[in-house]
Amino acid sequence: MDNTDEAPESLSRAQRFLIFTGSVGLIGAMATDALAVLGRHTGFAVVGSIEIFQVALVVALSSAILMVSLMNRHATVDLIVGRASGRTKSMLAQIGRVALAITFGLLAFGSIWVAFDLWPTTEMTELLAIRLAPFRMIWITACTLAALHFAVAFVKGLRK
Amino acid sequence: MTLLPEAIGLLAFIILLVILMAGIPIGASLALVGTLGLALLLTPEAALIKVGVIAFDTVTRYELGVLPLFMLMAQLCFAAGASGDFFGLAAKLIGHKRGGLGVASIGGCAGFGAISGSSLATVATVSAVALPEMRRQGYHPGFAAGALAAGGTLGSLIPPSGALIVFGIIAEQSIGKIFAAAVIPGITQALFYIAAVLIMVRWKPELAPPGPRATWRERGAAALRITDISLLVLFVVGGLILGWFTPTEAASVGCVGGLVILAVRRKFTLPALSNALFETLRTTGMIYTIVIGAIVFSTFVSVTGIPDHMIDLVHSVGASPTMAIIVMAVMLLLLGSFLDGLALMLLMTPILLPVVHSLGLSPIWFGIFLVRTMEIGFVHPPLGFNVYVIHAQAKDISLGSIFRGVIPFLVSDFFHLAMLIAFPITVLWLPSLQG
Amino acid sequence: GRPDPNVTALTYASPYSATHPFSRADIVWMKWIEEQTGGKVRIHPHWGGHLLSSNENMLEIRHGVSDIGMITPMYARSAHVQRIQPSFYSGIGDIQQQVAVYRCLAEEFPAINGEVKGVRILAVQGGNFPGILTRDKPIRTLADLKGLRLRAQADTADVLRALGADPINMSMAEVYPAMAKGVIDGVVAPADALRAVHLADVGKYFSTLKIPRGAYPGRAMSLIAWNQLSPEYQAIFTRGEKIWEDAMVRELEAALISGHAYAREAGIEEIAIAPGEQERFDALYRANAFRISRHLEAFGVDGNAIAQRAAQLIERGVPAGCGVPK
Ligand code: NA
Ligand code: NA
Repeated sequence: MDNTDEAPESLSRAQRFLIFTGSVGLIGAMATDALAVLGRHTGFAVVGSIEIFQVALVVALSSAILMVSLMNRHATVDLIVGRASGRTKSMLAQIGRVALAITFGLLAFGSIWVAFDLWPTTEMTELLAIRLAPFRMIWITACTLAALHFAVAFVKGLRK
Repeated sequence: MTLLPEAIGLLAFIILLVILMAGIPIGASLALVGTLGLALLLTPEAALIKVGVIAFDTVTRYELGVLPLFMLMAQLCFAAGASGDFFGLAAKLIGHKRGGLGVASIGGCAGFGAISGSSLATVATVSAVALPEMRRQGYHPGFAAGALAAGGTLGSLIPPSGALIVFGIIAEQSIGKIFAAAVIPGITQALFYIAAVLIMVRWKPELAPPGPRATWRERGAAALRITDISLLVLFVVGGLILGWFTPTEAASVGCVGGLVILAVRRKFTLPALSNALFETLRTTGMIYTIVIGAIVFSTFVSVTGIPDHMIDLVHSVGASPTMAIIVMAVMLLLLGSFLDGLALMLLMTPILLPVVHSLGLSPIWFGIFLVRTMEIGFVHPPLGFNVYVIHAQAKDISLGSIFRGVIPFLVSDFFHLAMLIAFPITVLWLPSLQG
Repeated sequence: GRPDPNVTALTYASPYSATHPFSRADIVWMKWIEEQTGGKVRIHPHWGGHLLSSNENMLEIRHGVSDIGMITPMYARSAHVQRIQPSFYSGIGDIQQQVAVYRCLAEEFPAINGEVKGVRILAVQGGNFPGILTRDKPIRTLADLKGLRLRAQADTADVLRALGADPINMSMAEVYPAMAKGVIDGVVAPADALRAVHLADVGKYFSTLKIPRGAYPGRAMSLIAWNQLSPEYQAIFTRGEKIWEDAMVRELEAALISGHAYAREAGIEEIAIAPGEQERFDALYRANAFRISRHLEAFGVDGNAIAQRAAQLIERGVPAGCGVPK
């Protein structure tokens, strides 16, 4: 895959998209829960509010994790790295990219295996019968893209 | 050659420490070592399936949803301009006294800590306002920065607290109870810091000269500025502790309140809102990656059987609970000198919690103890995160100078920690009222 | 020490601590297995952890996360018959009968076992009848349920809602503070759960409205591990099903007695529901069961037929030989 001439705009467009989807998920979760509280104190029931909250959360978190990955902003302990020489630093950064690529690869692979195993069962939530497969797909897509991003970043780092 | 599970566990722990210090991202380190360990102890198939289950379980977990929502609430309050208001009021009230602004900084951190869930956010935000103000009034820069670095740690003890939420999830304790348990330790920690400021100022008056006295009109205006947000915080955290709503509901209600305040203050704009959402998503993405890694790692740790051996060890040497706590505190402080707090907590909770259970100690007390100890790591060298945050804001104050400024507060921290250990009632009394 | 090559070591995982009644039954069974195999099969328990998750434990055992473990198929969002069938036990008697009816149903309707593929069921589990513990208002008739906010599991929620109550599903750990503060008015739980969660501090009345209780497959072994056992050992595990189920019955009965004793000591008033009211509740419960049994049609399962057969088995008794472990 050749990504060397990737325009910076495309990344920011991807980021804007993820901020949008993540915000929709976050606000959806918030609104559902707030409505449920309101309902409980004024006498109407939001049936299955937890289920809506959960699937909204998947959208928010898949977006958030992919966004942070694209921004290369995963938390590190930089006590030693902070003081290392430029050469050591870039080598450790490369190792970090490989580690993240493998991590998200494992998360994606494990999640795909689980989804594949449960696929024939029409997995759904109890009260509202929300199908879970699409939300598993969203999560898997986010992990896969994050893994690819770090793999590409590693290859780019090699060429420097 | 077959290694015993315990040996694999020990080896994994060492590898983990090494790669964390080499700057491998925390979430990836935990997840990789955990998965590899599970693959060795179970099978690669079982390890992958477990990782897949943990990942989706974590991102759909209702109770964990409290984390991003409390962050969003805080971001909305910042967007409404809440950052300097708590400090502003305290400064207007007591800034004219010697050391008054130092005390106000602690008060500002405590007030801001009731909105923010993190130590770093608290120190970064409050010091942006308070540090220039103290320097203008002729405060010793190291002392001023030290007070803020220490004061910032109030952010992760005073509820809401991201660290306490994560502990509650891993230790399976009621977050409402943990928050209630943190109230008295949080307040006493602030009081201890205030005492430290006053003692230092009495000893070396030149550290913190008095400033001009504010008029009552100015004080009234400053008080008015924090009213709406104070009421929201009181309602949300109070309602949560009183059991009006679950933690997640409290956070959702808090976000709605934040939106209302934003509108009332005429700051409800698309850029403000989208920035608050962006900041929330950014922190959330970072923390969830770590939490997933930590859960994988803690599953691996439980399979190694190391926690059981720790329990046997504690019982075989006949250690009293107090002795065990002191050993744990020393261990945590040592590890905390080169690991960051969240990583430390996520690493040690699965290992220490079973020991805590077997000693008959309260897991809620342990959560407060753990977060309190971990916070000390945020200000002590060489890896005091809060110190670096302040240094980044005021490059002319040397790291050494800030670390020296922190010393009086570290001393106060040890007294405070000793108090929590000697009198667990300070932690457990409020949650006991909850029933 | 180094593992003995002649000994088959199997892992066992349960979310409960070693002292929980369930775990005590598990230990009885483990000792029996070790004794029967002359120590050649050893079971290493893993108590109280999260080696198995609460929703996907069947999937995890299927892939060998643990060789054996406690399963909760009614919480798996992929096991529809398992989720709904516990509602089919209206009019059921003791735990033995719950287990017998489930076993017979599972033998007659392949759809039930179709959802527990990849694992070998090692024990079927029933439970004590839940009653309703309330804070301020005793429940003497069904009309008393009106307006009460009660913690209840999903299988009872529909009926409670129809009776004007407001059922909410929250984790058992949150019940105590929620009741203490009046966030909920009560909880649907069997008496054996009262002591474990110290509910006497927060509840005053325990109405012994008998809410039906179904059985479900509660312990399973991965087929990967099962297929590695010799036929002789497999036969021992098959005989072990009865051992495990009987131990569970004894432990649950002891826990129930202890739960009632606790309620008495703590001054909880036990309230019997009038027989007429119980019958009315049973009728509602049964009607609801038949209604939700139709949800299974969407998955190509004749849920109504299972519900009908369950009712028949409960009324006439389980025919000899139906559902005997093979
Ligand atoms: Na806080
Ligand atoms: Na530290």
